[in-house]
Amino acid sequence: MHSIPWLTLVLVVPLGTALLLQLLPRTAAGAIKATTVAGTLAVAGIVAGLLIAFNQSAASSTPGRGLTLQFQERHSWIPGIGASYHLGLDGLSGWLLALDAAVFLIGAVVVSRRATERPKFYCTLLLLTEAATAGVLLSADLLLFYLFWEAMLVPLYFILGSYGDANRGRATIKFIIYTAAGSLLMLVAIIYITFQAQQATASAANPSGTLSFDLQTLINSPAVSAAQDRVSVLGFATLTPAQWAFLAFAAAFAIKVPLVPFHTWLPDSYTSAPPQVLTFFAGIVSKLGAYGFIRYGLTLFPGPVHHFQWLLMSLAVVSIVYSALLALSQADIKRIVAYASISHLGFIVLGIFALNENGINGAIIQMINHGIIIVALFLVVGYIEERTGTRDRHELSGLEARMPWLYALFLVITLAGLGMPGMNSFVGEFTILVGAFQANPVFTVLAGLGTVLACWYMLRLHQGLMHDPIQGRLERIGDLRVGEGLTLAPLVALMVLIGVFPRPIGDVARGNVHQYATIATSEPGASPATASAPGP
Amino acid sequence: MLLATQNLQFPPTRDLIGLLPELILSGAFVILLMLDLVTPPSRRSLLAAVSLVALAAAMGAVVWGWFDADHARTIYAGSFAYDRFGRFVDGIVIASAALTVAISPDYLNRRGLHFGEYYALILAATVGMMLLAGAASLIVIFLGIELLSISLYILSGFAHTETRSQEAALKYLLLGGFASGILLYGMALIYGATGHTQLTLIKQSLAGSSGTDPLFLVGVGLLFVGFAFKVSAAPFHWWTPDVYQGAPTSVTTFMSVATKVAAFASLIRVFTYTFADSTDKWTGIVAFVAIISMVVGNVAALTQTSLKRMLAYSGIAQAGYILIGVAVSPDPLGTVGSLYYLAAYAATNLGAFAVITVLAGRGEDLDSYDGIRGLAYRRPYTAAAMAFFLFSLGGFPPTAGFFAKFLVFSAAIHAHAVYLALWGIGTSVISIFYYLRVGLLMYTRPKEGEETYPWARTSLAGGGVLAASAAGTLVLGILVFLIYTAAVSAQHGVLPVPQQLA
Repeated sequence: MHSIPWLTLVLVVPLGTALLLQLLPRTAAGAIKATTVAGTLAVAGIVAGLLIAFNQSAASSTPGRGLTLQFQERHSWIPGIGASYHLGLDGLSGWLLALDAAVFLIGAVVVSRRATERPKFYCTLLLLTEAATAGVLLSADLLLFYLFWEAMLVPLYFILGSYGDANRGRATIKFIIYTAAGSLLMLVAIIYITFQAQQATASAANPSGTLSFDLQTLINSPAVSAAQDRVSVLGFATLTPAQWAFLAFAAAFAIKVPLVPFHTWLPDSYTSAPPQVLTFFAGIVSKLGAYGFIRYGLTLFPGPVHHFQWLLMSLAVVSIVYSALLALSQADIKRIVAYASISHLGFIVLGIFALNENGINGAIIQMINHGIIIVALFLVVGYIEERTGTRDRHELSGLEARMPWLYALFLVITLAGLGMPGMNSFVGEFTILVGAFQANPVFTVLAGLGTVLACWYMLRLHQGLMHDPIQGRLERIGDLRVGEGLTLAPLVALMVLIGVFPRPIGDVARGNVHQYATIATSEPGASPATASAPGP
Repeated sequence: MLLATQNLQFPPTRDLIGLLPELILSGAFVILLMLDLVTPPSRRSLLAAVSLVALAAAMGAVVWGWFDADHARTIYAGSFAYDRFGRFVDGIVIASAALTVAISPDYLNRRGLHFGEYYALILAATVGMMLLAGAASLIVIFLGIELLSISLYILSGFAHTETRSQEAALKYLLLGGFASGILLYGMALIYGATGHTQLTLIKQSLAGSSGTDPLFLVGVGLLFVGFAFKVSAAPFHWWTPDVYQGAPTSVTTFMSVATKVAAFASLIRVFTYTFADSTDKWTGIVAFVAIISMVVGNVAALTQTSLKRMLAYSGIAQAGYILIGVAVSPDPLGTVGSLYYLAAYAATNLGAFAVITVLAGRGEDLDSYDGIRGLAYRRPYTAAAMAFFLFSLGGFPPTAGFFAKFLVFSAAIHAHAVYLALWGIGTSVISIFYYLRVGLLMYTRPKEGEETYPWARTSLAGGGVLAASAAGTLVLGILVFLIYTAAVSAQHGVLPVPQQLA
């Protein structure tokens, strides 16, 4: 049907560009940066094409516990253990892929406009990270997914370890160890559930069963939740194997998002990383944790998801409120943004674990919004730090006078960040809160506190930096350059555009969101007629 | 009983064919010793070339043996297994030997150690390892172990002017001799309990018994201790850091990889397949040693400041991961996992040590962490290769190390020994810390005016070896089916009498 493997191209183009860079001399910084921008632009073009060609009604035609993927490619990879090279796109991964392509394009553009130490090294790593993150979003096979999920850490390690402030070594190792610990737990759970599913397929003709890492096969396998022999650790926490497996997956995703109390790597690495790294590091990596919750958590563990709904929702609420309070108590503006980021990510998880269509829909919209806002905020922080040499909130004031353009753009970003109606965050957070209210009103009210706190720290940040008389030593700083303004402008435009016209996101995602909600609220093995919610 | 059933005469051709790779290398050993007498000191690289040709020929014979329809039988009156399992391991050992030989001339010249015997001894050790991999009789196992050990004792002390190298050789000799004694004692007890030295016959005689004969059990225990020493599993690992650090780096490169691979092959053949009927008696102790190795190796590696010692402790930890595959016996997935791990470990660890070897300058060996500080700023590709190997050792995809760990953890979970997998991931997280710390050092910009270690220029051969190891690490991490299929096939044919892979 599709003669050109477009999804593979999304992986191959950045990898190929990275290889191409190796042929260029190390000193040809201009050519290296231009090639990188061209590579990321090509990816963005392909992804835009994919979204336009995306069939919005394909998902509604699949009954039961099916998950409709489009543009699928499937090739045998390790036949002996049933792992395949299986790629596919749905409404959820489609939008995140768009965000992925966008943040790497911005990352490439930003780096092309400033002097960078060892540009070839940097650009190679940027492209490798893009390939790995795109692979996470495209895989429809658990082993392939894990491969990309973990491989992503390799280029990130070099970027975070080589670029950043003096604290970067510590921060990088902390980040890698945190995420790898969660991921390895998930690996054990992946192996466990595939073996469980294999046993369930055993028959007289095939006594050992068929091993498969395919997501759809595992979604339909009743084996995982069937095992009821409870396992306890050190005498307490007696849970079924499926519940343990879900907790292992949840650990990997909760660390990546991150949820409080697994968040302590984030402020350190966000503070140490330079803004051009943060465009894609903050822009996409944390969203992959939320993506994992929907794509793998909800689908593979419908029973445990409900069992632990209270746990994840309360962690989300704690993240929202606690990080907002921490954001209020910081002096370093980068740390304020970092904690604000955790707080907003809490909303996404809250929406996901509302386990209904509104919640998931809002989570998807909010993932896109969060990516856009956080990238813009870190760019603004970077521009300010570059000009003033400080990130201390108390040493900065009155920038409005010297930087009117930044003032205007930052105002829109601030309003978007605090969830003002008419801005993109409002759409996402409102939808999430509607979904969450259907699931649990108490948590919703508590989470609402987070929006109030967000107004407080965002407005205080904006006012503190921009208003009041300017401090003497800041008199000489200049406004945004044209290039910098043009980098921020599309992000700001998107904030307004999504705020007033969010429909395209919902249109593309709707069919698959319905499927995710259906899968999450039905047990495998039940007949499709009773399992799927009666819909129009 | 030993040789009574066969009349002693010149071995038939069918037997000789089974030993073809070993015969080629033994012939090359003799030729090298004689060539050394007529080769002027400045032309000793020629000897390396001759060794490489011999190793290539042996590799050819191994590959031919893999596809030989007449394989899967024991030869020499049941004392040597001509099977794919042996060929698989032979392939790894020969490749490691060839890569070691390729980086040796430059390194030995810089260190002033370039003597012809070096290559002959490497080949002798290789023959010993191949004999060990194929050994189907306790006698041949001992023969193989001694052949490889004696060659390595000499090679460890090859830096004859350095106290540390001499100390390493002596320590290795004394402790190695002690371990050989324990191994032999275990063999004697097993012979006493079963009346046989051939693995096939031992397996047959065990089939009827309940396997609770104390004589037999003590023998199994002692045998395991002997093997655990050779694969440097904790708590029998004390020699490893000192010997790895003291021996010339090129020797460590070879020793750390090939010895472990061969000894593990024999360990698997004897324990998983010969003592298959009494797995419940010994898997517990293997699992215990596996856990101890993973914990001790990874925790001790944290505090090291010497590259070679860090890699030595990392090797101890890796032995623990490989032992998981033995501890889940008789699950055949364990053997497949261990075999894959051995191949992955060979490519990766050889690469890591090869980096230290090719960078070593004229004076001291490159060993301290300070020595690689800022490497990435002067030798970006070598540093990238080293980082790649470290990631593989840490088990990150898309490298060999990830799939190796994945397969042994899978085997553990498949055999309902989830606790082994959990120990494995717990210690893996620890290991990431010290691997990445070394990685970060290479990417730390040296301060203005700070002196860096005088790294040697990477020669063509050195670069080729690094590229080959990196390619192997990458292929094992992406094109998994190639080696996985081979490992499954090797497991299917293992003598004596394989378990069928589910």
